[in-house]
Amino acid sequence: MEDFDVIIIGGGSAGLAALKHISALGKQAILIESGKEIGSKNVSGGILYSKNKEYGQVHNVEDIYGQKFLEEEPYERRITKYILNATSKDKVCSIDLTSIHDFQSNFGCSVLLNKLNTWFAKEAQEEAQKQGGGIVTGVHVKNIKWNNENTPIELDGGKQNSSTYDNSLIVETDELEEFRSRAIIAADGVNSEIASLLRAREKFSPDQLYQGVKVVIKLPEEIIEKRFEIGPDEGAAHLFSGDISLNQVGGGFLYTNRDSISIGGVYHLSSLLENPVEPDQLVNSLINNPLVKDLIQDEVPIKNIEKNLSKEEQTKKSFTISKLIRTWNELREIYYSPKNREKTIANGKFKSIEEIKDKINTTRRRLVEEFNTKFVTNYVELEYSAKVVPDGKRCMMNKPYYKNVLFVGDAAGRGIFLGPRIEGLNVGMDDAVRAAKTIIKYIKNNLTDPNIGEIYSQSIHESPYTRDMKKIDKDYLKVLLKAVKKIPLEDLGAKNNFLIRCMSNDFLRNFAVSTINKVGFYKFLSFVESPKIYIDIPILLAEKLGRKINTSTKFDIPELSERISKLKYYEDNNSHIIVTKPQIEFMKKMTVLCPTKCYSIEDQNVVIQHEGCIECGTCSKETSWKHPRGEKGIFFKYG
Amino acid sequence: MSLNVAVIVKLEPDFSEGNISYNADGTLNRAETKSKLGAHSSVACLAAFYAKVNYGANISVATMGPPMSEIALSEAQSICDADSLHLYTDRIFASADTLATAEVLKKGIQKMKENENENNNGIDIIFSGHRASDGETGQTGPQTAWKLGYPFFGNVIDYHLNLKDRVVTLKRLVVLNGMDNIIEEIESPLPVFIALDPSYKPSFTTLSSRLKATIFEKNAEKKVANFKSYLKMFDHNSLELDPKEVGLSGSPTIVYKVERIPKGKMNRKAEIIDGRDRNQIKNIAEKILILNGQYGRS
Ligand SMILES: Cc1cc2nc3c(=O)[nH]c(=O)nc-3n(C[C@H](O)[C@H](O)[C@H](O)COP(=O)(O)OP(=O)(O)OC[C@H]3O[C@@H](n4cnc5c(N)ncnc54)[C@H](O)[C@@H]3O)c2cc1C
Ligand code: SF4
Repeated sequence: MEDFDVIIIGGGSAGLAALKHISALGKQAILIESGKEIGSKNVSGGILYSKNKEYGQVHNVEDIYGQKFLEEEPYERRITKYILNATSKDKVCSIDLTSIHDFQSNFGCSVLLNKLNTWFAKEAQEEAQKQGGGIVTGVHVKNIKWNNENTPIELDGGKQNSSTYDNSLIVETDELEEFRSRAIIAADGVNSEIASLLRAREKFSPDQLYQGVKVVIKLPEEIIEKRFEIGPDEGAAHLFSGDISLNQVGGGFLYTNRDSISIGGVYHLSSLLENPVEPDQLVNSLINNPLVKDLIQDEVPIKNIEKNLSKEEQTKKSFTISKLIRTWNELREIYYSPKNREKTIANGKFKSIEEIKDKINTTRRRLVEEFNTKFVTNYVELEYSAKVVPDGKRCMMNKPYYKNVLFVGDAAGRGIFLGPRIEGLNVGMDDAVRAAKTIIKYIKNNLTDPNIGEIYSQSIHESPYTRDMKKIDKDYLKVLLKAVKKIPLEDLGAKNNFLIRCMSNDFLRNFAVSTINKVGFYKFLSFVESPKIYIDIPILLAEKLGRKINTSTKFDIPELSERISKLKYYEDNNSHIIVTKPQIEFMKKMTVLCPTKCYSIEDQNVVIQHEGCIECGTCSKETSWKHPRGEKGIFFKYG
Repeated sequence: MSLNVAVIVKLEPDFSEGNISYNADGTLNRAETKSKLGAHSSVACLAAFYAKVNYGANISVATMGPPMSEIALSEAQSICDADSLHLYTDRIFASADTLATAEVLKKGIQKMKENENENNNGIDIIFSGHRASDGETGQTGPQTAWKLGYPFFGNVIDYHLNLKDRVVTLKRLVVLNGMDNIIEEIESPLPVFIALDPSYKPSFTTLSSRLKATIFEKNAEKKVANFKSYLKMFDHNSLELDPKEVGLSGSPTIVYKVERIPKGKMNRKAEIIDGRDRNQIKNIAEKILILNGQYGRS
């Protein structure tokens, strides 16, 4: 059997950070990812934050990957504008919350996980290969067991440490022969099978999870800058609450990427179970908001082929039109992007910007005149995705380990919901470095310390992120109230007004916060995360103080089936999910809450058709849930 | 012990939507249609890659075609981390049939022996794909093998080497009409010519071999960025070929006439249902119900 020092399971941003750090410290580590390629299974909103170190010792992205991260910019845009929009029908009340975004952070940038994780992987792989390690994709870990538990082994030909115990683990996968490892980092995400297998924790329950659903929308670079009134080095983030949430606890988001927009919602799974709404409808309600419509609309060609032509002619025409539309799209991508323009002119493909513009116009004219193509105002979706997000304050593992298996990131339930701000990427990366450091110590001590988990756990408890998950930060509340204070709140009713005024008083606020933290923050959650805060007050705000936005734009929003048909899958004949309780209420609700409608009811039993599954994990709690075998299942191109 | 492998590949038009182009008269516009490494050729490259990872093979990829065929070579290199790329290109090679092509490939592969293998016994395995998608008949492989005097094995789905004894064990798929397919296991001394079945996939079953594969994949990426430095061009002179034996004049095949196979008369009409259109789905559901009513439930 082959032997390795460290195996990392899962190649999301957490697992990759672990690989990078262990390798940088000079040890061999191998990362195993079940997706066909790194990045193909990961979904985020998302904004990656770098935390200001004044507030505690953390390992930020730029610490792990160095200056190169800032130079090569594998992210989308640095977010410089952060706005909360309270909505009610055609009225929107916008509040500038940039101070919340800036809270304790060096910067925050929008990211698309396929691109970001691919870049992380390139860096981590390079470092790992120097130590004889690396990344192996398309391999799904299905079991872990311990080798000769409690059998003493002799190291170095029996000269030393005869009391050492062989704690090494045997890893079983669907694709490879078994192999052995001295320690494991489980970075296998929120739906961690490793955690379930080892019974290291219960599966997360709906009360501990949010369901995130997102679409990525195409929009040329400089059109984004004009629409959002941002510069080339800037980005905007919009948060939404109010009627867009269709009465659910949670909210919507819209982040500008380099040349696309991420738009979606994050809703409490308990709330969804109480009053089920289709996830795609939640995204649609946001897309249909007049403010959003104005922000994301674009000129879109509609292919039109005369039906009276022969089948063969129709196919050929269709191919030709597709080609022209592709050219038109590619040219626009060049024209509206300074970098692309420069590159194309430098390599001599075009002489000037005007020439590109001309070519766009002639292509468009050909499409209209020769091929009857119509150009309409609409928007273009690139990808639909979903994933559950762990709410760390409700579910982080108190002891994130089982023997010499250390859990990091989403697998350990470590996500922060700080008002509208979500942090999971940065937290997982910081956990990963802590796990890496612990393991290095462990290996150097030649397996003698059985308390590897405890040492790691200690380090996790010292993490400022753990504190953020456990306690309300009084400074955060101060910043939040300061931002809200700018809007006239007299109209919101005496009770709300009184509360805000009390909280604005430094003494009262500090007293309240310390009391809450003493009693236990989680005891107040039902108040903080209530329909009143997430729905009623925002609607009131929008109605009383909002501006009316008139828009005549009508979008042709794709049906769910169209969204699914655009996704890329590597089909597995075997279902990775098995329905074990076909008659319980939870499962019945999955017929509504599964983002790709994999569930239906037949003869009073809930049945699954797994082919469309995007592995979000919403149904995991009450099913026998595994990730598909290596390379199989959904392949997110953006994530 | 060293192992030398050659892969024969082919550039083919990319028939996918958005890449293919037609002339006004409806014929394929070859100039505007993009080309890429043929799908079967990629499978041959995968087999060579397996030899690289598991047996440390030295790989040469060869193709015959116009100068633009170098695209196929660079794509092949990105798959199998090839050490050298050979392009047989010459105006007089044009319009070659399979026999004339085999003649060029034979000489090319013999040249590889001379050039690259001072201290060994030449090309041990030649890999090729099943056949090309654009009108090739699957004869080039067997003919090249025959000209070189290599045993030929087609439809190969798996292979392993015993380098010490220089023996290959391979599995090939045999399709028997009307009966279950069978898998034949064959042992043969090297050298051999192997044509891969399209279903071939290299199987790296240990973590270390997977890891090794990723290292070679990365190497390949680096090489491809600079693929021209691995590229060698040959014309009929440098291959020492008699012009009479290649190209049109070396091709005994005469395509007398190409006929379309007449379509059989259809007495059923198919209706296309667009799954996105709920009404259409409703219609079909209704039709099924009606049919069910007509024929009764079974
Ligand atoms: C809609 C949405 C919005 C979000 N917004 C933000 C935000 O703005 N900012 C922020 O910081 N965070 C945000 N998050 C959270 C953030 O995306 C996650 O915390 C983060 O991506 C988790 O990373 P991870 O590496 O822990 O897990 P994952 O990215 O889930 O990676 C786990 C990996 O393990 C692999 N794997 C699983 N099981 C196995 C196995 N058995 N064998 C082999 N491989 C396996 C999977 O294929 C996967 O690639 C958001 C999340 C969502 C869904
Ligand atoms: S079936 Fe798949 S997509 Fe549907 S809820 Fe379950 S995990 Fe999510």
